[in-house]
Amino acid sequence: MKLGLSYVVIRTHALIANLLSQAQTQRLAESKDVEEFLERLAETPYGRITVEGASMVPIALERVFYEKFLERILKIVDLTPQKIGAFLQTYYYLRFETLNLKRIIRGKFSGLPSEKILESLVPINPYLVPSYKELADSASVGEAVNRLKGTPYSEVITKLKLYEQYEAIWPLELILNHVFANAIFEAVKTLPERDRRIVYNIVEYEADIENFLVAMKQRQGSKSGANLEEMFPATYRISLEKLREVIETKDLKKVIDGLGESYAKVLSPIYTGDVAMIRTGLRRHKYETVTSGKATNAFGFNVIMAYLVYSEIEKDNLVGVGWGKAQGISSQELMKYVVIPRPS
Amino acid sequence: MSMMSGVRPTKGYLMDMKRRIGFIERGCEFLKLKRDHLAKELTASIDILKGRRSLLLNNLKEAYDALTAAYISLGPTEVESQASSVKSALKLEVLPMSVMGVRYPYVKILSKPQVTAELDITLAHASGKVYEILEAIIQLAEFEARAERIADELGKTNRKVNALENTVIPSYRQVIKFIESKLEEESLEELVRMKRIGGALASRRE
Repeated sequence: MKLGLSYVVIRTHALIANLLSQAQTQRLAESKDVEEFLERLAETPYGRITVEGASMVPIALERVFYEKFLERILKIVDLTPQKIGAFLQTYYYLRFETLNLKRIIRGKFSGLPSEKILESLVPINPYLVPSYKELADSASVGEAVNRLKGTPYSEVITKLKLYEQYEAIWPLELILNHVFANAIFEAVKTLPERDRRIVYNIVEYEADIENFLVAMKQRQGSKSGANLEEMFPATYRISLEKLREVIETKDLKKVIDGLGESYAKVLSPIYTGDVAMIRTGLRRHKYETVTSGKATNAFGFNVIMAYLVYSEIEKDNLVGVGWGKAQGISSQELMKYVVIPRPS
Repeated sequence: MSMMSGVRPTKGYLMDMKRRIGFIERGCEFLKLKRDHLAKELTASIDILKGRRSLLLNNLKEAYDALTAAYISLGPTEVESQASSVKSALKLEVLPMSVMGVRYPYVKILSKPQVTAELDITLAHASGKVYEILEAIIQLAEFEARAERIADELGKTNRKVNALENTVIPSYRQVIKFIESKLEEESLEELVRMKRIGGALASRRE
């Protein structure tokens, strides 16, 4: 059911109020163990979560947080007017479906039973493929990939030869990244002009950072028989040429500084080797972008985007903290990777 | 003197005992040499072990931090899914090696794990760190087993040397001394007897 943008925006404002506050996020991250974390979580809109009997508590928690996040985005994405809705569906559903396809391929490659593969999937309904179960039940990677025939992912089939040649699944994963990047590229173009800026600031920035990280991996000597065009199907403000420089340069700092202050700030943890902090920086950047976008226009698409970004950051925070608490990681260590929301 | 029970105070037995003690003393000397060599090996091994272990602990901490960061960044399900793309497991063969007769395990790496998927950079970073220390962990385990077995053998050798030096050799010496004094006593008695017989024969002739 598609409703007017104003209705969705008003509804989104109400939903933003249900997100975890700064104090709640901090309190959760400072829990002394997973039991206390669940106790404190019970005091939030998440309510009491039971993971008793789960063989892997962090994975059970992750599933709960994913389900909550998907429930939230479903409330919005499916109600949003046509063009914006189509973009959001591509951004979220296609992203998660691509992730699920990768997990199915990896599962088939490593010989996991189909139930285990299905358990590892992001709990969404199939978006562009008829059934995840059918894919997971395939006898081999080749059969699973061939079942993508007739779907928008059919390009993956063309990489089966490379998969067989290298006995490696990276060619299949790269082409899935390619499909997703192209779809996003097309979906952004369909957005109304006034809404594109914030999307550019998020989607393109994110793609640039992810491209940079892939380039860094190549620099560190990671294998790949793919050429740069294949490796980076969509580039934005960090061009293919810049990415080539990242791979080949001896003076990485100079290249990073040349990317501009906004990129240099997020990428700075690369010097200390803490690559995961770059993702935290990226999440923080997305948080700041949508927050300032919401402040500029509190009655438009910016609010929807802000809610979706806040929800995803909250999910990522909780998954990380839940895992960390189950592993006995200190709060101080965990806090480094948590994006604490600003006081409302 | 229960130790002397069964001792035959004969020249043959004395010679046998002397041959035995000579053999035991030579064995004891060899054991002392072995003990000194093992002690030297152990001291050197402990020094190397200390250095290697502290280096490995630092590297392990780095690898563990990188893995923690990957888990927090990607979530446990994605990490496990990506990790499942590790093609072959680590394959090892344990072979016996020996130093001064002390057998210890030597680990030969037959194949290392191979990542065949497009790993996320955080996980690639962590797997790189683990990969770097994989060999060091195995070498350290091998070295620890070696040092442990050398220490065990050193203890055993030391106990053997002590037993030989403080119990076995002195008891043999005592037995030899006992037989020698017995034999001396017997030869004196024999001499006296001979002299007496000689005296009696001389007086009979007169």
